[in-house]
Amino acid sequence: MPLFELGVILDPEATTEEETQVLERLEAIITSAGGEVVDKDVWGRRQLAYPIRKKNYGSYQFWKFNVGGDVMAKLNFELRTNDLVMRSLILNLDRELKRKHKMDRQEKAKVAHKAAKAAAAAERDTAEVEQ
Amino acid sequence: MATRKRRFRRRAKICRFTVDKIGYIDYKDVDLLRDYTPTNGKILPRRVTGTNPAFQHKLSRAIKRARFMALMRYVGD
Repeated sequence: MPLFELGVILDPEATTEEETQVLERLEAIITSAGGEVVDKDVWGRRQLAYPIRKKNYGSYQFWKFNVGGDVMAKLNFELRTNDLVMRSLILNLDRELKRKHKMDRQEKAKVAHKAAKAAAAAERDTAEVEQ
Repeated sequence: MATRKRRFRRRAKICRFTVDKIGYIDYKDVDLLRDYTPTNGKILPRRVTGTNPAFQHKLSRAIKRARFMALMRYVGD
């Protein structure tokens, strides 16, 4: 199951009750499909860079979750139709992090190669000293 | 041309993402993205910042995502 990242901006004028209701519904969609919310990053009320729906503030939420592919349509539909959701963005983090993983692997290989080379050189030096 | 002395030495342009080994540019990291946009809100070109082509691509995507999520402005002032 791929890892996704969800960002939502909720209406700042909604009551906390309404807000938790929406968030619970989103979580229910994910968990009912066998997914799991791994990480919740709540930024809370924050000024928007430009007004959306004539509002200058928004309540930010960033989640990371695992879920199979079929639920995305349902989730997107919910995000689009819910009146309290002002903006939302879902990214496939597995795809996004591919390059990072590749870079990390290469870096690891480089370090290992260097260490092996240094060890070989040290061995040679000791052999020369013994001669 | 060769005899004329250069008055200014231009600072060497380095790609920060290659040096720091940042593999993924997060759109939520607005402070980082802000370094690559002047106050007018445009994305600085590669020839100005010295960013690697691959990273410039990732960077522009991250900036566009940040704009969509109202973390950055589309137009500056």
